Parts: sequence; C-alpha cells; structure tokens
Amino acid sequence: MARGRVSFARRLRELSEKQLMIAAQRNVAARYGTPPPPPPRGAERLWQRVYVPAYHRLPWKLRATVMHAMPGSHRRTWHRPDEGSGPAV
Amino acid sequence: MAKRIVIIGGGAAGIGAAGAARGTDRDAEITVYTEYEDAAYSPCGIPYVHGGEIPDFERLFLGTKQQYAEQGIDIRYQTAVRAIDPRGKNVRVGNGPPVPYDALVIATGWDYGRPDVPGADLAGIYYMKNIREAMRWHDVLDGVRRAVVLEAQPLGMEMVTALCHRGIETHLVDPSPWALSMATDPDIVAPVQESWEEMGARLHFNTKLEAILGDEAGRVRAVATTDGEIPCDLVVVCTHKEPRTDLGRAAGLAVGSAGGFVVDETMATSVTGVWAAGDCAEIPHGVSNVPIQGLSGSHAYAQGKVAGVNAAGGRRAYQPVYVPWAMVAGKWMIGGVSFSETLATALGIPFVVGQAQGISRARYFPDVKPVKVKLLAEPDRLRLIGAQMVGGEGIKERADFLAMAVRKGITLHDLATMENVYSPPIGALNEPIAMAAQDALARLGS
Repeated sequence: MARGRVSFARRLRELSEKQLMIAAQRNVAARYGTPPPPPPRGAERLWQRVYVPAYHRLPWKLRATVMHAMPGSHRRTWHRPDEGSGPAV
Repeated sequence: MAKRIVIIGGGAAGIGAAGAARGTDRDAEITVYTEYEDAAYSPCGIPYVHGGEIPDFERLFLGTKQQYAEQGIDIRYQTAVRAIDPRGKNVRVGNGPPVPYDALVIATGWDYGRPDVPGADLAGIYYMKNIREAMRWHDVLDGVRRAVVLEAQPLGMEMVTALCHRGIETHLVDPSPWALSMATDPDIVAPVQESWEEMGARLHFNTKLEAILGDEAGRVRAVATTDGEIPCDLVVVCTHKEPRTDLGRAAGLAVGSAGGFVVDETMATSVTGVWAAGDCAEIPHGVSNVPIQGLSGSHAYAQGKVAGVNAAGGRRAYQPVYVPWAMVAGKWMIGGVSFSETLATALGIPFVVGQAQGISRARYFPDVKPVKVKLLAEPDRLRLIGAQMVGGEGIKERADFLAMAVRKGITLHDLATMENVYSPPIGALNEPIAMAAQDALARLGS
C-alpha cells in the first residue's frame, strides 16, 4: 500500500510485526487444522528463518525493553488508576 | 479576552473536543475546520445503509449544523488548514491571513492505505469513509453486479455482509489466511466465513492484489490477484487505517512507531499548546504497553473530549486502551478484547486458554442463540489478557465487560465463579464466560 514518509522506527516495527504474525498464523493454523499462510519467498525467508526464531529466544524482559525504547506515546506520562492490581504482562 | 481554541477535523474526535471545550469554558471562541461538507456523522453506519438495515444516510448525523452554531461552535466547512505555526500560535487557512489560537487540537483522523498497484486511479474504486461519497456510491451500487472488497478489516467485513444483502456477487480479497487475522483466531472467525459463503460471497484468503484492471473508458473491469483474475464492476477499499499526520509533522510534532502523534494522558502532543485525538494519535495498549493506532469511533470521541477539556484549561486524563471490539459479520456477531492466540503467539507472550460453547438465553426460550467464548490468561496468576467470542447475540456486552476485566487484572478464578443473570428471555443458567474460565482451570487441573 502506498504511503507518505514513514519513520525508520515505524518501518522496522511494521516489518517485525508482519513477520511475527505470519509465523504465528502458521502455528495457530496448524493447531486448528486451518489453511496456513503461504510459504515464505525471497527476503521473507530470511525473516522467518533468522529473525522470528531469534526474537522468540530472547527473554520477555529484553523484548519489552527494546519495545519500550521505540519512540511513541508509551514513553510519556500515563497514570494507571489502580496501580496495585494492574493487568498482566 | 476569550480563549481561542482551534480544532482541525470535524469527525468524532474533533466534535468531541469542541463540545468538551465548550463545556469547560463557556466563553471560549471555538472554531472547527473541516475540509468536508459535513461534520459529526457516523461513518461506521455507512455499511448498514448500503445493506438496507438503515433507511437513509441522514440518520448517521449526530447533530445539525444549526445545533452546533447554537452551542457557539463555529464550524468552517470545506475549509482545509494548510499549515500550523506552533511558534507563532496560528494556523494558515486557504490564502487568508494567519488565524491565531491559544490552544490547538489536531483531529485529522485517517485515510485508507491506498493500494500500491497499477490501476489504483481507475474509476470504480470506492474508499468507504466520506458520507457524501457514500450517498453517491449508494446509487451506483444498484447497477453493480460484481464487487471486490479489499481486505477483511472491520469495515471490509461489514461491507461484505452489506453487499451480499444487496444481492451483489461479492469477492473478498485478503493477503492473510483468515478474516481479521490481527484480532481473531481461525476457529472463532470460521462461522462468519462459512456464513458469508452461504450468503454467496467468494472468499480469497492468502491472496495478494497485483493490479486493478480497467476497460477502455478507464473504469474497473477486474482485479488481478495471486489467485487469478476476478472480474468486477466495483472495488471497495477497506485496507488498514493510515493516520493523517502530514500537517502536524510539518509543524514539528513527534510521531511514534505506530505512526500516530505521540501524546500523553492529557492528549498533549510533543509541542506546547497542541493536543491530538482520534486516529491521528497513538495510545499505549494497557497489557503490552506498546503504542497502537487505528481504534474505534468511541475511542476517538472519548479522546477528543479529553483533549477538548485540557485545551480549554480543565484537567482530564485518558487511559491506556484494552480495545474491546465487536461487529455483525455474515450471520453472526463476533467480538473480543486485547489478545488472541495468534497475537499472543506472535509477540511471544505465554498464555493459557479456556473455551466454551454456551447459549444466549434459556435453552427452551424461542430464538436462543449459540455463544462461543475463548479466554486467554497469563499462566502465572491467571489474569485475563484477552478474549474472543462469536455468537448470535450478547457479544458486544460481553466484550465491554471482559475489557474491564482485563483492565482490572481479573483472574480465571474470578470469572469461573462469577455470578450471572438468569432470566429465560435474556440469559441462560450457565454464563458462557464462566464456562470458558472453568474449562481453562480444568485443563490446568486447578
């Protein structure tokens, strides 16, 4: 899809999310016996064979740290109304 | 001197901001600029006018132009803002002199991601969003025999259903293996897809658009896809929402990794005196803390109200979002909140699952409907992190309830022992949410 100027952080995030989603769709489709996404082609193979397994080997804390380091609204002030019994993850 | 509040955008966020600013400061000069002929209507209702459930477009408007004028909200229709000068605290409108402001709210919304393929400028491509264009296309639909809907995002799913209601041969083209794959799992969306096929729709998943093909007159005649050529008279574009941030970016406002303006809980942007709300802003997700963008009209309206109060000198805070969602798709209602199995798997978030097939009313009551619920919880303390549902009724209310449950850290134990209303016409003896939580605990042996 055609778009205007896109920041490096956004482009990186989009590529990462897309490849992680494709791998997850394949995993979940196998679980439920539904059609999986097509096999990766071209540069997608590198993402699927190198990036996705590497991402999942990292501990959640490290992944969360990297995500937190991305520019965005999450780095500004957001008070939670009930700090004591907040959500999971 | 009255405070001058300028709002760019007349959608849900812009009008929410204007009303809240008026409620906070009775004397403020409030001016809303919109490039369109109308303000404050529900674009989400458009598929239901096309499908015949809503008899006319006029019902989609929240208020009349006169009502806004009586509230002291000066809406400048068909007036585009060209530039923002945050240092000079003014905006440029047309060729006129700079318009000064004391507080500025940007609510410029979104556009569809345009298909980056040959033929994207042909006649017969419908970007379903603007109500005047929808009125025009509504008449065109009477002569359409075959339509292609691009992508099974929420509006696309509603349009497939609406076009089938109109008796149009409808093809859904989506590069993912199932509909709404960012939010759902294949087992939950399967009944919707089956019902579309029963209604005559042809589904082309795992299918990429390669080109839109035209005839000699420059009108759409087919789409070329990885699944072959599909003849059609109309292409309905329902791709992802792209935040409209050009104006703000040119003025130096920071944009985040989701593509929306960076805001804090007051909806203040990175530039003093400028707030942003709605689909042009990004908001942290309450579970993952990752900023997201492209939420619903109710989110946009609520964010607009927060921005409007603060722009007018009040104090109000917005919250991270958990994103309850629901819709009618095919013959079913489908909905959920936060994480699906697919999304949690993608991000590598560990989870446990429980699911149950329940019913919406007493089993003996006429029109009792099935309700399937799937719950996801984190495996440590079993706090809810997501849910999905498909059924005949009662999905929206359960999605809202479960969003609050995720927000408050409710556990599977809490849900397994929840109390529920039993009343034959509106509620069954066993609540499907409780049954799904009990299923999860049974799988865990606890």
